[in-house]
Formats: sequence, C-alpha cells, structure tokens
Amino acid sequence: MSPGLRRYIFVRILLTIPMVLILVTVVFFVLRVIPGDPAVAILREGASEEQLASFRAAAGLDQPLHIQYFRYISGVVRLDFGEAMKRSVPVMQEIRTFFPATVELAIYSMLITASVGIFFGAYAAHNRKSAADYGIRISSIILYSLPIFWLGLMLQMIFGAQLGWLPVSGRLSPGMTPGPEETITGLYTIDAILNRNWVLFKDAILHLILPSITLGLVLAGIFTRLTRANMLDVLEQDYITAGRARGIWERVLVYRHGLRNAFIPIVTLLGLQVALLLAGAILTETTFSWPGLGRLVVQRIYDRDFATLQGAIIFFALIVAGVSLIVDILYGFLDPRIRY
Amino acid sequence: MTNNQSSEPDILYKIRKLVVEYHTRGVVVTAVDHVDLDIQRGEVLGLVGESGCGKSTLGKALMRMIEPPGEIVGGELWFDGTELLSLPEREIREYRGSKISMIFQDPMTSLNPVQRVDEHIIETIKVHEPETKKSAALERAQALFERLGIQKRRLNDYPHQLSGGMRQRTMVSLGLALNADLIIADEATTSLDVIVEAKLVDQLEEIRKEFWVTILLITHNIALVAQIADRIAVMYAGKIVEIGYVNDVFLNPLHPYTQGLLQSVPNIKFDEREDLFKMPGEPPSLSDPPQGCRFHPRCPHVMPICTQVEPQLLENSPDQLVDCWLYQNLPEGYESTIEVEK
Amino acid sequence: MNISSPNTTAQTSKLVDENIGFVRRIWRGRIWYGTEWYITVIGGLILLGVTMMTILAPVLAPYDPNEFIGAPFTPPGRGQQALVSRTGENPVPSASEITDEVVGVQRNQNGVNLAKELNYEYERYQNQEELLTALENGEVDLIFINQELVPEVLGAYPNLGVVDEKLGRSYRLGTDNLGRDISSRIVWGARTILGVALASALLSSFVGIPLGLISGFAGGKVDRTLSLVMDSIYSFPGLLLAIALAAMLGPGLLNVAVAISVIYIPTFYRVVRGQVLSIKESLYVDAARSLGAKSSNILRRYIFPNVIPSVVVVFSLNIADAIITAAGLAFIGLGLPPDIPDWGYDLSKGHSFLVAGQWWMITFPGIMITLVAAGFSLFGEGLSEILNPRLVK
Repeated sequence: MSPGLRRYIFVRILLTIPMVLILVTVVFFVLRVIPGDPAVAILREGASEEQLASFRAAAGLDQPLHIQYFRYISGVVRLDFGEAMKRSVPVMQEIRTFFPATVELAIYSMLITASVGIFFGAYAAHNRKSAADYGIRISSIILYSLPIFWLGLMLQMIFGAQLGWLPVSGRLSPGMTPGPEETITGLYTIDAILNRNWVLFKDAILHLILPSITLGLVLAGIFTRLTRANMLDVLEQDYITAGRARGIWERVLVYRHGLRNAFIPIVTLLGLQVALLLAGAILTETTFSWPGLGRLVVQRIYDRDFATLQGAIIFFALIVAGVSLIVDILYGFLDPRIRY
Repeated sequence: MTNNQSSEPDILYKIRKLVVEYHTRGVVVTAVDHVDLDIQRGEVLGLVGESGCGKSTLGKALMRMIEPPGEIVGGELWFDGTELLSLPEREIREYRGSKISMIFQDPMTSLNPVQRVDEHIIETIKVHEPETKKSAALERAQALFERLGIQKRRLNDYPHQLSGGMRQRTMVSLGLALNADLIIADEATTSLDVIVEAKLVDQLEEIRKEFWVTILLITHNIALVAQIADRIAVMYAGKIVEIGYVNDVFLNPLHPYTQGLLQSVPNIKFDEREDLFKMPGEPPSLSDPPQGCRFHPRCPHVMPICTQVEPQLLENSPDQLVDCWLYQNLPEGYESTIEVEK
Repeated sequence: MNISSPNTTAQTSKLVDENIGFVRRIWRGRIWYGTEWYITVIGGLILLGVTMMTILAPVLAPYDPNEFIGAPFTPPGRGQQALVSRTGENPVPSASEITDEVVGVQRNQNGVNLAKELNYEYERYQNQEELLTALENGEVDLIFINQELVPEVLGAYPNLGVVDEKLGRSYRLGTDNLGRDISSRIVWGARTILGVALASALLSSFVGIPLGLISGFAGGKVDRTLSLVMDSIYSFPGLLLAIALAAMLGPGLLNVAVAISVIYIPTFYRVVRGQVLSIKESLYVDAARSLGAKSSNILRRYIFPNVIPSVVVVFSLNIADAIITAAGLAFIGLGLPPDIPDWGYDLSKGHSFLVAGQWWMITFPGIMITLVAAGFSLFGEGLSEILNPRLVK
C-alpha cells in the first residue's frame, strides 16, 4: 500500500469520528432539547405529576444537561442504548433482532437499483438527446416522485390482491420461520442457501420480490440520474475521443472505458444511496409489514418509546457513517490516481 | 522537401469539396466550406489558420470523427484510392488508428487515467490485429518506447505518473503502433513548453524519415510549419485560401491574408520603434459569413467584385494555389482596380 | 476597410433583443433549447395548475372536504339514487313531490344521506334484499336505490318501476371511509401540501443560503466547521431526521414544515457555497478586484446573479422532495391533524381498506402527489439543463 493511500485512509477514518459525534449530538438535542418537556411529549396529556416525575427520573431527565450528555455518549460508545420503555428488553437486543430483515431488504433493493440505474444511466448518456434519453430521464423523475408506500400499495393491490401471484406481507409464510440452529446470518435467503433448504429459499424470495422492487425502483430513479450525469462527464472527456480515433468500438468505449471511469464516483454515490435506502426502508417495511428496523421505529413512535427510538436512530446513523467510510476507502483502492 | 516536382506527385489523400456543418441552437454554422486538398504521400503538410477557422474540424473530418451536432454534409474523401464517406461505420473504424491516426493537443486528458500505458498500446494493437498475442504486442510497445526515448519500465505506469513530454510521446507511439500511413497532429505541441516542443518536433522529423509517414500538422504556430513542413495550406473562415511549398509561400505570399499572417509573426530583429503588425478587423461569423470573398472586410486590396462573388482556389504558378481575385481572371463586367505581377 | 454586412446585425439582434416581452422570449426559447424547453414548460404548467387549484379551491371543489356528505366507500362516479316504486302505482309523480311519504333506504348507502338531506321520512333496512322485500310487500311505497343498480333490480323484480332518477349527488372520485368526497379533498389538499412544502423550502433556504454565503466567503475555520456539520446532516437518512423531529414537535402544520426543512438546509448550503467558491476563484472576479472593485459590489454584481439560477433550481427540487417527505410523514401518522385535508393522510387511511378492493381512496391522492412532485422536479431539472447546459464539444 503506497504512502499516499495510507494517508488517504487515515484521513478518512479521522474525519468519520467528528461526523459521527456531530450526528449523535444532533440526535441528542433533537430528542431532548426540542420545545417542551420530553416527558410530556411522551406521556402526553392526562399524565399525573408523579408519573411525569418518575418517568423523568427513570430516563435520567432530571439530571443536568451535561451529565445526561455524558451518560448518553458513554452509552453510545458501548452500543448500550438502555432498555425499551414498556418492554424491559435492552434496546440493542431488539435492534439486533430486527436488523437482519432490513439488511436483506436493503441488499436486494440495492441490486435492483444498481442494475437498473447503471444500465439505463449509461444507455441514456451514450444516446444523448435521443428519444430514449429523454424517455429515461422523464421516467426517472416520475419514478422518484412516486411515494414509496403508494407504489407498494399499488403493487400489493395488483399482484397480491387481484392477481394473487405474490405474497404481500411479511418475510415468510406462516410456519416457515427457521429455528435457531438454521439461522446463521439472519438473512433468510442466505441461510436457506447455506442450509440447502430450497423450500425456504423460494418462500423467502417470493416475499422479497414486491418490497425490493418497490424500494429498488424508486431509488433507481435517482440513481439513474446520477449515473447518467457521471457518464456524460466521462464520455465528453478527451481520452474517449482519442480512443475512438484509434479505432476502438463505440460499445467498448462507453461500457468499458466509460463505465470504468464513471464507476469510481458512482461507488461513492452508492454510499449516499444507503442513507436513502434506510429512509425508504422505513416506509417500505411499514407497507409490507416487513419485520425490520424501519417498522420497529414506526411502531415505537406509536408507543412513544423514546429510548428505542433514540437507539434505532443512532444505530442507523452509525451504519450510514460506517458504510460511507468503507465506500471512501474502496474509492481509494479503485482510483489509481490515489493509489499511486 | 520531396523531389517530386518533375513527376506527378503521389497523392495519398484527395479531398474534394468537403463541407462540414454544425447545427446548434437554431443556427447552422459551416465550419468547412467546399474544401479541396491533396495530401502527398510522405510529405509534411502544415495547416495553419486562426482559432475558429475550421482547421481542427477539417482534421477530424478526415477521420470521419465529426460528432453531432456536427455533420459532414458533402464532398469526397479519397484516401489511398478508397472513398471514405461511402464506407459503413464499422469499416471506417478499421481505418482509424491503423491507416490514419491522430495525435491530440492535450496528452494528459487524451489518455485514460484508469488504464496503464502499456494497456493503451496493447489494446490499440489488438483492436486492429486480434490475432496478435499479448506478449507480441507488449514487445512492440517496448520497441516503440525505446525508439521514442522513454524508459521501458514506464509502460507499467498510469498516465498521471508521466511527465508532459513523456505523455505526448506516448500519444505519438499510439499513433505509430500500427504503422499508419497518415498521422494528423492536431495542435500537438500547443500545450507543451518550448523545450519539450522542440524535442518532440525533432522526433517527429526522425520518425517521418524512418517510417515514411505522411503528417498533416494542424497548428497556429507558423514557425513550427516553417521548421518541418514541406508544404503549407492556409485556412480562413472554413476555406483554404492558399497552398504551396513552404519556401515559395514564405518568400512570396500571394493571398493578402497569408501576407498579413506572416507579417504578424514577431521578428526577433525588431527595431525598437517598430510596432507589432495587427491585422484589422475580426474573423467572420461562420453562421453568416460575408458575401463574396470572406476575407474582403479586412483586405487591404479589396475590389468591388470581392464583395459580391467568391473567388476559387486556382493555380497561380506551378504548385502554388491561391483563392483570390487578384490572381484570377475577373468575370464579365468587373474591372480590376489593382494590377498584380504574375 | 471594415464593412459589416447588414445581414449579420439584423439576425443576431433577433435572438438577443432585450425588448421582446418575457412571454415571447419563453416561446422563442423553444427553438433555442429544444426538448429541454418542453420538459421545463410542462413542469411549469403543472406548477401553474396546482397553484390554480390552491387559489381556486373553494370554487373548484364541489363539496366541503371535511363534511361526511356521502355514504362511505362510494365508488367513483356513483352516488346518485333512483326512486323506485311498485309498477303502476306512482305515489308521487317525481321526487320533488314527496311530502310525508316514507321512503325506504339501505343502510350505509347514499340513499340515507339523500333522504336526510331532503328531509324525507325514511325507514332504514339492513341490506338490499330486505329493502326490496319491504317495497314488494307494501311496507313502504318508495325506495331509493343506487342509480347503477336500476337495470339489475328491474330485471330481477319486474314488478317494480322507476319513478324518478339521477337524484342527488354523484361523487366523481368517490368517497372515503367516512363518506367524505374525495375530489373535494384532492382540491383542498393541494393547499395543504403546497403550503407545507413551500413553508419548509422557505425555511431551508432562509437558513441554508446565508450560511452558504458566509461559509464560501469567509473560508477558513468557519467554513471547515460548518461544512463538517452540514455534511453530517446531509449524509443522514433524511426521513429519519424528519421523523425524529416531527415525533418530538407534535402535530401541526408549522411543526411538520420545520421538521422537513432541517433535512434540506445542507443542500442549499452546499450549492450556494460551491457557487460562491467557484466565482470567488474565477478570473473575472480577480480582474474586477484588481481594478479596485469593492467587495459589496463584487457580491452584488458577480456572485448574486450566478447564484440565483442555481438557487431557483434547488428550490424547485426541494419542494418536490418536501412534498414526498410530507406524504411519508403522514403515512406514518406524524402528519397533520385529521381535520386538514391532506393527500398523505388520505393515503395512510386508504392502506387499511385496500384489501377490500376500494382502490379509489389511495389511487387519486397518490397520482396527485406523484404529479405535483414530478412537476416540480421536471421544472427544476429542465431549468437546470437550460441554465447550466452540458456543453457538447
């Protein structure tokens, strides 16, 4: 690893720490300092003074602000988010239970987004100002303007209720949930492959189709736009013209040389996409009753479970920061200008 | 200078009535307007002109590399006996890089930053000679680099690791990799500093002798043309206004524009009080050029006919062609106001 | 001799003339910009349409959006009633002549509402069978049935005949689960969604733009710190942040707007800062400064005019995003109070009833959200291409 690369990675890691700190602090303030008494916000009207007081004591809200902050940060560092209210389970445990479902959904959605986005984005850039280009651009805008849950509902209606081809909720049909011996990653499709359980595999995939298409297509709208923009930049470069002057085939120029160059900024964009993915997952999971972290967040909002909400949000933030860091490091390996 | 004056010169590339138009924002710009040109085998032909006169467009057109919104709308391109405009796209692609190749202005941006230098050359070879083994192609790349004075180990580097001069020589080697007949150098030295440019020019001359390549040198640097070119073609507003052997044209420039160009070159032997020569006026708009001879608004010798009828590129003396009414028989009804010695 | 041909001047002036009116200049743009123009204009038309809907809501909406005016779950286009009696006996010549006759109506159908509205005496029956039986055996002399059922009923019960028909209201887009007219809710909902989106975009820009300007101009530590903070917020899943804020702030139009606005502050910040930086470094500003131009002049003459087009584009795209986010919040239940007609809220309610096949409750609000958001996006994207075209070499 060249010294340039080493320094690049080091700087990236160094930058991540303040970012995470800022995010975590922002969450702290949002959930605590925003107008009014969090106790009232959570317990709402009708709570007596004793209830409010005991709530505050339990949540540590009666301590001075900087002590609260300190306890909060030390908790975050250890990934200890306290206990869920009304449930007496550690928040982290709940998160760990529901997280794999979100990961599985995210992976398959990302596959759809990436393949649709890269293909159509490159095609549009290659055939600039053609009918196909405009068609792709307009379709991307419309796709992105679709409310995710609405698309989900429409798909549920058509493919689930009316045509009956695909299941509309949950990850598996009743009774299919694998036991603890079979659960390795928590991702049912992977576990099914590892255990050679093809029945489970098929069931899991069927349940994955609609939610991942919903989330994947909407995000593909944005991703296509970004790919197209990057590809356009690349295709305008002199080395593409120079390549053409040497007799290299158009298709090779666009899809090999062009994509190889555009791929590098696109990889960084994928990092940003993860943030959108997680946000979209919240809505998708709610629509399809998918038992993931997103749906957990929504349910806990109804329950006014402030501790779980905080824990889940911070967890999301950490994931996003982590993925960004990994993506940035990957970028360092991919771009020879940084590697050498 | 070639010794072909007695016999018929061997024409490598015969260009007839070439027209290239650009369509943007509701306006049509004629960048190359009915150009006739012969490029002789083995010569170095310098194509000079101001920025925007169409010389780069002409260069690209010779390889059919005009992209929308530009379009070749008319003319014939006879390269070594084959008319290129009638060929389908996939056949023309075979010509590019192997029969005609191009060296570009900016070597940094003309090389793919994520591709190693040797991959550039090997890919070019394999595109045109798919049977060639990778190892054989690599040997050829090494030989080229040696010939051009770059260390062989540089082949493993990425473009950004090379110096400017090395990059340009890489471009030259890409142009030579398949022994092209014609090399079009489009402002190849403009982005280089003077010393590097001089070295490159020397190498171009050597290569030309050794490989028997024909070079079309597109540049606005007249001194460069004087140094290595055999013939010079002067372009103005999309038209060729004068062609001839370098010695003839430099000693006796016929077209008023050529005269102005040569006068504008600063002379190191300047008298302290001598001013720099400026040609009056500005280059015309190519979407709406002046009527008649395009140079007439700026010409010190303009005649009434010049404002109305376009002259043609005709031979004034053997091997020197000029596009100006001063040297042609005027059509009926016009009187020449100036007498010129023939 | 410098002769400029008369042709040249005339033609250039046609395209660049400052004196043609604004609308005419837009029309000329059609040739100049090609398809981008159409995209922008279509987006702009959608915007205008929605704005019209917002302003003219009281006029355009057939009914009050909050009133439980019809029967729940009336399909689109339905609602009207037919007055039916036993053949041969027409107790009244037409519906308007009903005075104290008792009219039979079916529970949860529009007949009930109509009867109530017209102040008839009415008798409610559980289902259609009971209703028709009651008519047949003389319990009542007149009944209301849904207009579209007339052919079917008359076919099955040939001894019944129509006295009067096409009575009462029809609901063009149907009614929701509480009997509210959907088309009215759509029309009035435009106000809500536009209001929230506009408010949040304004808030975002009011905070983001000045911060961007300061950061770009000042540079140094200020710039670095602000950039770090903004980058952190920017990389965070936006909806999540909005959810957190909305959950804590509680319901209410302003609260929702504030919650959403925080997400987009970094976008404005980034764009403005980027523009300021690039303009600051550009040669013509250097040239101006070397000629002694004052900083405020530089700001006004060079930076503002270049920043404003980008801001307009970002603003438009921001509104599109805000619309979708607001709908998302409503779907989760963190939106506005239920007495304000809101497309997102309608979507969330419709979720539960999808299985019963009542598609119209979510289809129309969904289409509207998509249409308006797409309209703003098209406008912003098209404008962006026109203002900062990617030059083809």
